[in-house]
Amino acid sequence: MSRLKKFWRYLGFALHSVDRRKFWLCFRFALLSVALLAACFTLYLDFRVRSEFEGRRFALPARIYARPLELHAGLRISQASIVEELRQAGYREAPREGESGWFARDGDGLEIALRPFVFWDGPQPAKRFHVAFENGAAASVRDAEGRDLPLVRLEPLPIGGIYPANNEDRVLVRLGEVPKHLVQALLAMEDRNFYAHHGFDPRGIARAAVNFFRGRGLQGGSTLTQQLVKNFFLTPERTLRRKVTELFMAVLLELHYDKDEILETYLNEIYLGQDRDRAIHGVGLASLHYFGKGVEHLTLAESALLVGMVRGPAVYDPYRHPQRALERRNRVLLETKNRGYATMEQYAAARTAALGVNPKAPVGTSPHPAFLELVHRQLRRDYDEADLRSEGLRVFTTLDPRVQAAAERVLKRKLAQFDREKHFGPPGLEGAIVVTDGQTGEVQALVGGRDVHYRGFNRALDAARPVGSLLKPVVYLTALAEPARYTLVTPIEDAPFVWKSRGAADWEPQNYDKTFHGAVQLRTALAQSYNAATARLGTEIGVERVLATVKRLGVERALKPYAATLLGAVELSPLEVAQMYQTIASAGFRAPLRAIREVTTQDGRPLKPYSLEVEQAIAAEPTYLLTAALQEVVREGTAQSLKNWLPPESAAAGKTGTTDEQRDAWFAGFTGNRLAVVWIGYDDNRTANLSGAAAALPVWGELMAALDPEPLAPPRPDGIENVLIDPQSGLRADGLCPGALELPFARGSAPAERAPCASALGAAVDEVKQQAKSWLERLFGQ
Amino acid sequence: MRYLLAVVVILGGCATVEPPAPVSEPASVPVPAPPGAIENPAVASLMDGARADVAAGRLVNAAASLERALRIEPRNPRLWQELARVRLKQGDYAQAESVAARSSSWAGGDNRLRAENWRLIAQAREARGDAEGARAALEAAERQR
Repeated sequence: MSRLKKFWRYLGFALHSVDRRKFWLCFRFALLSVALLAACFTLYLDFRVRSEFEGRRFALPARIYARPLELHAGLRISQASIVEELRQAGYREAPREGESGWFARDGDGLEIALRPFVFWDGPQPAKRFHVAFENGAAASVRDAEGRDLPLVRLEPLPIGGIYPANNEDRVLVRLGEVPKHLVQALLAMEDRNFYAHHGFDPRGIARAAVNFFRGRGLQGGSTLTQQLVKNFFLTPERTLRRKVTELFMAVLLELHYDKDEILETYLNEIYLGQDRDRAIHGVGLASLHYFGKGVEHLTLAESALLVGMVRGPAVYDPYRHPQRALERRNRVLLETKNRGYATMEQYAAARTAALGVNPKAPVGTSPHPAFLELVHRQLRRDYDEADLRSEGLRVFTTLDPRVQAAAERVLKRKLAQFDREKHFGPPGLEGAIVVTDGQTGEVQALVGGRDVHYRGFNRALDAARPVGSLLKPVVYLTALAEPARYTLVTPIEDAPFVWKSRGAADWEPQNYDKTFHGAVQLRTALAQSYNAATARLGTEIGVERVLATVKRLGVERALKPYAATLLGAVELSPLEVAQMYQTIASAGFRAPLRAIREVTTQDGRPLKPYSLEVEQAIAAEPTYLLTAALQEVVREGTAQSLKNWLPPESAAAGKTGTTDEQRDAWFAGFTGNRLAVVWIGYDDNRTANLSGAAAALPVWGELMAALDPEPLAPPRPDGIENVLIDPQSGLRADGLCPGALELPFARGSAPAERAPCASALGAAVDEVKQQAKSWLERLFGQ
Repeated sequence: MRYLLAVVVILGGCATVEPPAPVSEPASVPVPAPPGAIENPAVASLMDGARADVAAGRLVNAAASLERALRIEPRNPRLWQELARVRLKQGDYAQAESVAARSSSWAGGDNRLRAENWRLIAQAREARGDAEGARAALEAAERQR
């Protein structure tokens, strides 16, 4: 108080004793400065409000979708797996006439009301149809009038996003799409005078001021405009200064924009909950998240639940605190009715409605982070990281949720089983799986470790591990490309072998069973995975040539031209191995592994498609011969235990791989429709005491068996002929040789020499034929 | 006497010697339709859509429809051939050639389809300025008859 007195005394003194004119000049100058400063501040705020609000693009995450299920009569799929996919997409099981986004079961059939969806090639309207199932397949797909539909594309499952740094997620809506009762409930609860005030509500402020002076801190009294300003421009601290700035900005916002613009932005901005690490913003995403439907379909009760959460999404979380959320909702309903926005009947009906939230597991930024990482990497080749995190791109991927789920389930189960059986303590075994469509190179599933929700180390992409015998097929493929030298029955010496090279230690490969098998046929050396024979063959044709084949198969990593490379002393990731085998599975046509099909802008404008590309990398004939040899690996070689999962007629092709001291267990192979690579081992390279056949193969077998494998029957190229061969000698047989095999050969390359079983008899048969012919000729006098 | 023995063995062999097991031959699968025929209505509708897209100049959409069809029937050489045709129209000559070759790899005994693929390859090579390669492809097409 005394300071004030001093000031007045000074002022009085000044007014009397100093030159008045000079004083007033100073005073006016000071006043002007203050006014100028205030104006500058206002201008600055105004600039901020306008530039940020106008140029405000909500940072929209890139939204990633799985492949859409293409439903048609004849498709092998069960009712259960379609139901599962619809559930995950947020469809409800119960007919809701006039709405979409539900399904209903009737015995062996399924009635589906598809939601509208904007695909990359255009919008698909809501659609209602019926599917009948028979023997594990869709028997018919018909519309409401009973007409057959050739093909129905289901809405693809969202499988996550590439989010802004704060992991904010939202789906933008226009004010016109938001039901009136939602807006009314919001105004009733949060800002009754919204359409009347100019950015702040004196009554609200008075209430807040009273509360403040009563020592209850700064709270409430904010209009929607103020709340928006707070969320938009300011930090959440509660100080007087911030409150004043907020007020200024709110008024400025109201000066520039009309009420509906502000309301629409508010509805899109508001934070409405948390899904693991993903923040749910805006009523558009909230209605999808909580109710599995578009905002335009929200009922009064559902709208009231969302409005009730505005003040505390965690406190009124309908999943964790259903009772509290219900009470809060009913309070909102009451206010809505009291403000005259709802009739007594509407109020009574809404009050008795259940919460009605979607029963679904939290998903977070993605349920399949390992696959998403592959998508993200492929996107980064063509898009800016900032754009990916803010432009709301829509990315349609190749992920098949059914395959992914099976791969995750099988890996988890098997690793747990191995841990138990072998008494491995923590940390447990790790593993990775890549599944692709063998023909098109589309990646259908990718598992990066046993904790499938873990966002860290992705073994499928980044664990470069020695591949061991998985590389052997490349040696044989290179050899079989020279049919004049090598056929499937060419004898290869499986005997002690020493490779000397300057500047390197001698290389003496041992066999897995520590014995040598003498001269073996080429196909047998691969089927039994003999190291010594393979090393001899590989050094005969040349390491460089084998490596050239590896490259042509699609491995971009440069491999060292050491002889040991032939036996897989090279490190590759499961994804690289998959690429290598993909080229073999598709008859020598290399198709780069793809995780993305199409990308569109937020509003559906298609951007660059990621189309199917093939290139003949290896001739069809040697690829066909190698495939036959890889089928033999499964039929009677190191992978014969696969018969525990797949019937012989599936004729799968594959190769086991085990590295030194059993640190890595691999299996790579393909059926008629899919290719999969499985790796199992320890992150720290410890010995796992598990071979490829004992650990990776069972995972592969169980996975493939669960996915309707089609028999492998590659088309026989022109340059291939089948010849009967005596399996013991590897020489030409005839119909009389017991156990003769029909083996494929590049035309003209089959052995000419007859096997002992055939030679005596075969020569005799020829002679008899000749005799009979001339005898008949004589008889009939020709 | 030797002949007699052989005759006896042959006659007896008819009853006793088992037919060789064609085990190393990739298992033959019953093929429901001759290669290339389009029976599946889903695939047929996509093929129709692709042709309509080509007619309307929407080549990207046409290619995408064919890819959708190929996911349903990856072994149908007609779909691969149609895709080769679209790639040719798109000016992607390298892919046109590769995809046509892929079509032939599934063509089985359908020589007309193969010949058509060779003609597509010839056009792709011609467009790339490889006159000699184009001629060789046309000759290969002739040989398919």
